[in-house]
Amino acid sequence: MDALTPVQHLLAVGWWLTVAFSMLLYIILDGADLGAGIFSLTVSDEDERGAIMQAMAGTWDANETWLVVGGGVLFGSFPFAYGSALSYLMIPLVLVLWGILTRAVALEFRHLASQRTRRFTDWAFGLSSLTVTFFGGMCVGAVLLGFPLTNEPDRVPTYVGGALRFISPFSIWIGVAAVIAVSLSGGLFVRARFEAQEPVRKRAAIWTNTVFYLAIAAVPISTLWIAIVFPWANRTWFGSYFWVWWLVPLAAIGTSFLMRRASNRNHDIAAMLWLNLTIVIMAAGLLATIYPYMIPDTWTIDAAASREISPFTFWFTVAGLFPVMLMYNWYQIWVFRARITKLASYHA
Amino acid sequence: MVDNSLALLMSRLDFGWITTLHILYPPLTIGLAAMMFIGELLWLVTSDDHWYRLCRFFEKLLIINFAAGVATGITMELAFGILYGPFSQAAGPFFGQILGYETITAFMYEAGFIGLMIFGWGKIGRKMHLFATFNVALSSSLSALWILVANSWMQTPTGVTLTRGVFVVKDWWQAIFNPDVIYGFPHMLVASFEVALGFVAGVSAWNLLKQRHVALFQRSLKSSILALLVIAPLQVWLGDAMGLTVAGEQPTVLAAMEGHWHANNPDGSPNTDWNLVAWPNAAGDGNAWAIKIPHVLSLLETHSWNGTIRGMDEFPAQDRPPMLVPFYGFRVMVACGFFMVLMAGWGTWLVARKRLTGRAAGSNKWFLRATVFGAFVPFISVWVGWWTREVGRQPWVVYGLMRTSEGVSNMSVAQEVAWLVGYAGFELMVWGATWWFLSKVINEGPAMSNPIPSDGGEGLGTPASGRLRVRGEVETPKAETSVGPGLPSPQPA
Repeated sequence: MDALTPVQHLLAVGWWLTVAFSMLLYIILDGADLGAGIFSLTVSDEDERGAIMQAMAGTWDANETWLVVGGGVLFGSFPFAYGSALSYLMIPLVLVLWGILTRAVALEFRHLASQRTRRFTDWAFGLSSLTVTFFGGMCVGAVLLGFPLTNEPDRVPTYVGGALRFISPFSIWIGVAAVIAVSLSGGLFVRARFEAQEPVRKRAAIWTNTVFYLAIAAVPISTLWIAIVFPWANRTWFGSYFWVWWLVPLAAIGTSFLMRRASNRNHDIAAMLWLNLTIVIMAAGLLATIYPYMIPDTWTIDAAASREISPFTFWFTVAGLFPVMLMYNWYQIWVFRARITKLASYHA
Repeated sequence: MVDNSLALLMSRLDFGWITTLHILYPPLTIGLAAMMFIGELLWLVTSDDHWYRLCRFFEKLLIINFAAGVATGITMELAFGILYGPFSQAAGPFFGQILGYETITAFMYEAGFIGLMIFGWGKIGRKMHLFATFNVALSSSLSALWILVANSWMQTPTGVTLTRGVFVVKDWWQAIFNPDVIYGFPHMLVASFEVALGFVAGVSAWNLLKQRHVALFQRSLKSSILALLVIAPLQVWLGDAMGLTVAGEQPTVLAAMEGHWHANNPDGSPNTDWNLVAWPNAAGDGNAWAIKIPHVLSLLETHSWNGTIRGMDEFPAQDRPPMLVPFYGFRVMVACGFFMVLMAGWGTWLVARKRLTGRAAGSNKWFLRATVFGAFVPFISVWVGWWTREVGRQPWVVYGLMRTSEGVSNMSVAQEVAWLVGYAGFELMVWGATWWFLSKVINEGPAMSNPIPSDGGEGLGTPASGRLRVRGEVETPKAETSVGPGLPSPQPA
């Protein structure tokens, strides 16, 4: 591969941030929907389950599309990483996909289903939310572990390794951690979307309080695990500016407590925003640690970048298209902002 | 070498399966969204509430179809990387960027407005709603443009060079506006309109046969038949132009589509026979039998009596596509195209004689039956057309530059079988569910008694009114049709 020009290097970093931005937005927006789905597994009242699905009816599709946008930008700007990572992650991604598809079908078809098949669509909705979250988290964990590539002169490196290589204690743990984080997000979402007097809102409060302690435990466990196991994290986090890096998990724990306080005071939107800030802080810390790699010890940003990236396409996308997308996404969320009751289940 | 290993065939079958079960949905979404926009515009302009009822009815069908399209479509983006990893890496700089722009400018754009279109009735003003519908229609058509750019480039890969295993774009303009897309995109876009028009006409005809909502469905039947009178012949013309492009750019594809094995007869004269039906021999170097008409092929392709057309024998065996699918796929597609033209002509003649108006609308039973059948014909046509195109391109994944065997991921047959079983099952389930729910909604018919939304953004509602509103709707007396509590219905303001 030819080396990138200095301008292309900057563009590659820009595209990398764009992918990260889309993926983070996906985790934040669809994470709430997925978590509400996991929460719905504990809801015994059929109308309440229907109302939870109704609460995301107008927006889930656009939320989920940020994943597709992230995937699309990844394919276009980092085809070498995309092609090899997808071979590596084939099995968990197939399961994530299966979950996404099942969830979409369950959400859209529920209001047409008869009473009897509704039990089935509701289970499918809850279980598919859990599947997407767990295996999605596992993919993230597996990517942090890196993977082996072919090394042939004049050929693009591709994945060499078995289909089950993605399974490891670390990737399983990240899957569990993702379920914890998303469950928290889902609980806050249910609290923010229902009318104050709805019983489901009180149960969501118990749920978020329980999951909160799990999350407070999961943050240091993940951080320490990464710090101890991975040389790339080790180098940075125990290097000369180690105290800067350790501020990151501390800040995350701090914002988590702010989230809890806001939630207990019924400031539902503020609680969601604190949680989102926590997610952003942790993700930013991790991405900064991995830099200049895109996939640790496997693909650097420069090596994975397409040689076709140009200032025009970058600015056209980032300055032209993304603001428009964010604008109509925001408008959509704004239109459907009203709180609902469980009777919304009757309304498609 | 001809790579016919089981692993390669399986991965082609895997990808073929998911695309075949995906392409059922997007054309209907694209066409129906455009028709919804026109219907809604007519409602706003004429204040005729029939159009509103029709829009809301077909919108329900659109939602079901859209969900199935998204569910099967997301699979495809990842399937490129999973099943065709080396192809994705090599073609990524062009192909991946194009798909990336599809997600940004079309997929996301559509997702941003379809929620407003479906759930926004009564929550946003009428004009804002019309704007949302317009954006759904435009974005879904844009999506078709990007997809066809990407796929056409695989057919006629201009503007790139293959350097050290990667396609390097030399000229973006040439790569995007490659020869195949010039007619390929309009052919697909018009196919989408034809699918949706056929669908609307078929659903309307079915209702008229049952004498249900005659005042409503004669409107949709007449307007879609009249639109088909333009669209169906246009599609035949575009198909012909597409065929000429294939003849010029992809001689092996043409040879397979026509079962044309030998450029010259044994005596040295040009082989001008056009095969009506044929079957390849076991050796794969000629036809075992064929019904031939002399001179027709030369007339069709060279517009001369004795013109020479390159046959399969001019290409090495490892560069020849399989013949059966392109040959019969092409013929079935042409037959479907002409069926739609005839149906549109018949219908227009009836419309002109006012025999699809008023009480007479339900009396032309044979025309209505043909129209119900005609709802399926464009779908079949889309299937066989794509099979012709994709199988005809073999053994190349990027025509003339990269073989399918070079682009396929290194998967074991067991993995591929597992994929096929998993997704075959899943996609058949989606198909079954879509069919079941479409039938259910069509059977229930349009909701005639729900209030018509007025203008303004007043629908957010206070908690109390929200509750009353929903209660009121559940207890609405069943008027002309049964409106179940779970059905989509407009919100009273």
